[in-house]
Amino acid sequence: MLIKDLKRDFYDAIQHQRVLILVAFDVDALCACRILQYLLQCDHILYTIVPVSGKEELEKAFVDNSEGVQHVVMINCGATIDVVELLQPDETVTFYICDSHRPVEVSNMYNAVQVKLLMKADDLTDVPEFDEVFREDDESDESGNESEDSDGLSKRRKMTDESIARRQDRRKWEENRNKVIFDYTKFSSYGTAASLIMFEMVWKMSKDTNDLVWLAVIGVTDQFVHFKTPRDKYMEDVMALQSHVSRHNHRGEEDESLLSVNCLRIVFDEELQLSLYRHWSLFDSLCHSINTACKFRVWTLKGQKRLHEFLAEMGMPLTQCKQQYTAMDSQLRTSVKTMMQEHMTKYGLTMQDIVLPSFWAQYGYKTKLCASDVVLACAAVLEGVDKNKSATDYFLDAQDILQRSNTGWLEKGVVLAKRQLTALVNQVQTFLDMHQVISAGPFLYVFVQEVCSALLCSQSKVVF
Amino acid sequence: MLAEKALELVRQQHRCIEGALGPFNEDGIRQVLEEMRALFEQNQRDTSATVAGEAGLFSSIQLRHTALERNKRCVLAYLNSRLEHIGQMRWEFGSVLPADVKYNLCEEEVQWFNNYNRMLANYMRAIGDTGGLDLTQDMKPPKSLYIEVRCKVDHGEFETQDGDIIVLKKNSQHFLLRSECEHLIRQGILEHIVNRM
Repeated sequence: MLIKDLKRDFYDAIQHQRVLILVAFDVDALCACRILQYLLQCDHILYTIVPVSGKEELEKAFVDNSEGVQHVVMINCGATIDVVELLQPDETVTFYICDSHRPVEVSNMYNAVQVKLLMKADDLTDVPEFDEVFREDDESDESGNESEDSDGLSKRRKMTDESIARRQDRRKWEENRNKVIFDYTKFSSYGTAASLIMFEMVWKMSKDTNDLVWLAVIGVTDQFVHFKTPRDKYMEDVMALQSHVSRHNHRGEEDESLLSVNCLRIVFDEELQLSLYRHWSLFDSLCHSINTACKFRVWTLKGQKRLHEFLAEMGMPLTQCKQQYTAMDSQLRTSVKTMMQEHMTKYGLTMQDIVLPSFWAQYGYKTKLCASDVVLACAAVLEGVDKNKSATDYFLDAQDILQRSNTGWLEKGVVLAKRQLTALVNQVQTFLDMHQVISAGPFLYVFVQEVCSALLCSQSKVVF
Repeated sequence: MLAEKALELVRQQHRCIEGALGPFNEDGIRQVLEEMRALFEQNQRDTSATVAGEAGLFSSIQLRHTALERNKRCVLAYLNSRLEHIGQMRWEFGSVLPADVKYNLCEEEVQWFNNYNRMLANYMRAIGDTGGLDLTQDMKPPKSLYIEVRCKVDHGEFETQDGDIIVLKKNSQHFLLRSECEHLIRQGILEHIVNRM
């Protein structure tokens, strides 16, 4: 059942109770989890957090931890499966599902007692109606008829007309139901980010802070960076977040800001859509960002030449482009964006490839982070490939990265993200050089056999 | 040299002041007391000789007297420092001392420790509203009632005061009352996460 008023139906229900939180393995879930943690710590609600990475782990975690727990919150997991049937909980256990995966399983949608969905109503417009999917059964009549059929023929004849009509009706309804469910579950997609929903709940309770805004930004950017939502949805969410950002980061018009430089400051800006360019060289970033790499075809010689041409036309000296971005001339750095926008059409790039309205954060004099970089770093840590550490260790490491005080960890994450991107581009280059891409009608596929070590064992959520 | 052994005692105690208590130097004390007795006897002889009329012994009497005082001071400093150390250990280790520490104490010191224990227990029972207040917990004032902890090893089930059963699995995070987690944190099973968001 969908909850309209999150505070009343969710938050007030869990006051003074213990909560079990099951979190999925992605950046959006991590951010939503941290927002929820902050909220629960404010009100001293005891909780336990268990990371889960699939259906079996979900079952196992529930079975292990569910003694005495009446409230289970599931973040980015559980919407697409029938939780009550899978987990077989007691009657008193309530599930609160805040999941961006769609389509939502119909039994979750219409279970008014045990399952509460923390989602936006606009995301759920295509759920089939209750009557189309569930029906008061005539089955008891049917079975009664079957047993009576063994008696005299006359009785059979009397029942026949009504039972035939009922059976026909039922068959038609079942056919319709199957069709409706098939259409509904044909495609999977993503709804609003879990972190945004959590943030809005916190905002309605007036407990939001600048840090939580930054977490919500990261969660929404994660959805876009990993191609889970289209650009328009992302833009809507960004506009919603922008109002929150301006509310929290209003520093006044005077030159002296009222807050110290070490406080978090978030700024809305049109960001260059080059992955990790601030932590890398401009040339490397152009070669390894998915949009530009594809448009320039950097795996071919011709593509490389075009890229060099592009840089030359923009007036960027090649030696500087191949050095660290922070070491470039400041004039060049400020003009990169405008120059790219001027010269992009000649090379087949569009505005949408180059710039993305997004946010960056600054605290202290050294750290300036843009949201997509944080997303990439965090995702790279989450998908770590060291065999000695378990998946849950990575979960905790990724959580640590989101804490502002851990800039060292964040830098390690950035290094990992760079390695991942490089490996990815190399892999694609190998596939295309070896002509391993096979066309199979409506889609192309590649069979990944030998994978280079950085991608080994990682569940890269990258779309080829 | 006079009073050298006493100085040795003081030096020995000074070396142990930061770390663990060293063994009780019975030998050293005995030697110092011997020295003191020898000096005292000599002084007695000289005093009686002076009373009998001999002159010129004043300075030696003075010297021996000062040496005696110095020895006394050193021995007292040694004993007092050890007792202070033992008292501190009550606050660190609790009312039962570990065996290796006890080995280093002489019997009188053990007795002193027991008396100190009893006194502290009586005092703690007397203050506080009901049943007394345990002062040896929470040496630093805690920042909050509840803390966030992360489980480092599988520890199985853990029951809280309210009867909630929490399963401590590796890498799960929990938010619990500080008083319940502290001994687990000291054992190293849980790790306190400081959230300086």
